[in-house]
Amino acid sequence: MEFQSLSVFSPKKVRDALRQGRLEMALGPFSMRLQGADKSLTSFLLDVYRDAPVRLCLEDVTDVTIHVRAPNFLRKYIRRQVIPDPGFIVPAVPLPPTLAPLALEMGLNLSVALKCCRFTTFHAAVVGSDKGCILISANSGGGKSTLASALMEEGYRLFSDEFGLLDHGNTVLHPYPRPVSLKGQSIQIVKNFAGVEWMSKTLSGTPKGDIAYRRARASDIASANQPLPAKLILFPSFQEGATSTTKEISKPEALMKLIPSSTNYHLLGEPAFTSLVRMVSGARAYEITYGSTAESLRITTELAEGTDL
Amino acid sequence: MISERLKIIAGQAPLPTDMLTRAELIEFADAHHVLGQMAVAWHGRVKGKLVEVFENAILRTEFDHRMLEFELNRLERALGGSDITPVVLKGGAYVATNIKASYGRRVSDLDILVPVVQLAETEKLLRHYGWENDAATDNAYDQNYYRKYMHELSPLRHVKRKSILDVHHALVPKTSRVRIQTEKMIESAVLIEDRKLKTFEAVDVFIHAAVHAFADGSFDTPTRSLLELNYLLQDLDVEQQGRLGFRARTLGAEMPIATALWMLSTTMADLHAKEILESEKLKPANCLVRWALIRKLEHAEGLAMAKFMLFIRSHYLRMPYTLLAAHLLRKIFRKGLALKAKGFRTES
Repeated sequence: MEFQSLSVFSPKKVRDALRQGRLEMALGPFSMRLQGADKSLTSFLLDVYRDAPVRLCLEDVTDVTIHVRAPNFLRKYIRRQVIPDPGFIVPAVPLPPTLAPLALEMGLNLSVALKCCRFTTFHAAVVGSDKGCILISANSGGGKSTLASALMEEGYRLFSDEFGLLDHGNTVLHPYPRPVSLKGQSIQIVKNFAGVEWMSKTLSGTPKGDIAYRRARASDIASANQPLPAKLILFPSFQEGATSTTKEISKPEALMKLIPSSTNYHLLGEPAFTSLVRMVSGARAYEITYGSTAESLRITTELAEGTDL
Repeated sequence: MISERLKIIAGQAPLPTDMLTRAELIEFADAHHVLGQMAVAWHGRVKGKLVEVFENAILRTEFDHRMLEFELNRLERALGGSDITPVVLKGGAYVATNIKASYGRRVSDLDILVPVVQLAETEKLLRHYGWENDAATDNAYDQNYYRKYMHELSPLRHVKRKSILDVHHALVPKTSRVRIQTEKMIESAVLIEDRKLKTFEAVDVFIHAAVHAFADGSFDTPTRSLLELNYLLQDLDVEQQGRLGFRARTLGAEMPIATALWMLSTTMADLHAKEILESEKLKPANCLVRWALIRKLEHAEGLAMAKFMLFIRSHYLRMPYTLLAAHLLRKIFRKGLALKAKGFRTES
């Protein structure tokens, strides 16, 4: 059976496949087997992943398996809770069943970060034009998801708002277009420019406050098997009301800033180092400070033009 | 049935054709830390996503092996000026000697064995070079317990690298019901090529793995242990296989060896194991224990009961009743305190 977008299947079929753990989703280089019985999970997938290619009968093994399930027998029935089970032990906070989508997203992120070591993975948002990628490396709250969403409006492809996936062979970045995760104030900001129809329902009361997702577009997903080299590496920092600054940094400095954001650099050793050096050598790197999304977008598009993106 | 699973993991039976079953098998292998070994066993014989899944697993174990090689090097340095040539045990030895049991194997902690007369000096040198008591057992009760009753020092953690080193002076606790003649095994240990470290001779390597699985502890890594025993037995030549029974009797390891051979022949249809078991007339653990071992391996019905039985057995093997009672009380009490400190938070 060929992969088809999730939206062609009836909710009942999707729910059944999820219950039995035979929903296989493919995005970029990764395939994922998803399992879970919560209604919130089914409706989240049908909404946010509507354009993602899936099969409802498993036809191969997958890179990642996530079972969103109760943490123990008791919590399946009384004061129900869910956790993501990626097949290895993770320090997951049990969540109420309404937050099953969050459990799924957390589980997927953990699995990619810890299991998929045929790429050097690092925590970053990545968008691409037809010539190359912009890699945005920042800590949580640094504004990379908001900036990535803003760049999507400017016509950039969404690669990922969570992972840079660096190929050791030809030093390209692979797209992994899962939805963009937005927190707190950035939800409203992105809603304003992307339009409410592109946003998921807001999940409130999560351990990280309010969270909403901006769907990847069908075009992002359709081009998910076209990797590109990084051309521009940005280290943004958002400071309320700050005047904007742009500072080009040296390649070794950029390398040293990227290494700590990698989830498997230490594990891979030499191939990770070599590919990161090659990636940084082929790109220009900047530290940028800004006080608003409009400013960050202005700086980034300017830099992108200067780098022939 | 997991007996079949074990053979598939070892590359000795075909992969399940049903994809859900196959996916679950891969997840099982991953959860039991044998996916790397499975990847090696199936190298070049799979296609599709499995190629990539196996590639990930191999990269993961290559990291383990690199780290372990580094630890071995630091250990050699620490003991460099002394007369001490420790015997590297288990995974560490497999990796250092590059035998089949090491291919794709996950390894983390390093285990070494020194003669009891060299224990004090070994400890002194290691402490000098940065190994310290691991926080989990760095308390008066545990320290006293290890010194008085155990066959090893409490785990040592390196202050910088955070790696764990277990220093043994025997293979089973001092109070153990199964008495293994560790000194004889140390005597016939051999130098590892290009290293200032030793390993047991091949027959003893198998014997130790069997002792570890069936005469110490509660068979906590069943899949891994059996795969390991399977590979170690395959590495023995005819002469070595012929010596196995006699050697086991000499060392006092008849029960664990017989149990290991019985498990291999029952679950993996290992013909060599069956042959040795029959020709040597070795006696495995009793049928109740064997039932529990199979249940624990197969995750089959009665698993909880089997686990409980093996838990009790591990303590029965390890210490006399009076000591056991005192120790368990202490453990329960401590667990209670720990739960209280956590505010009875339940997380799985």
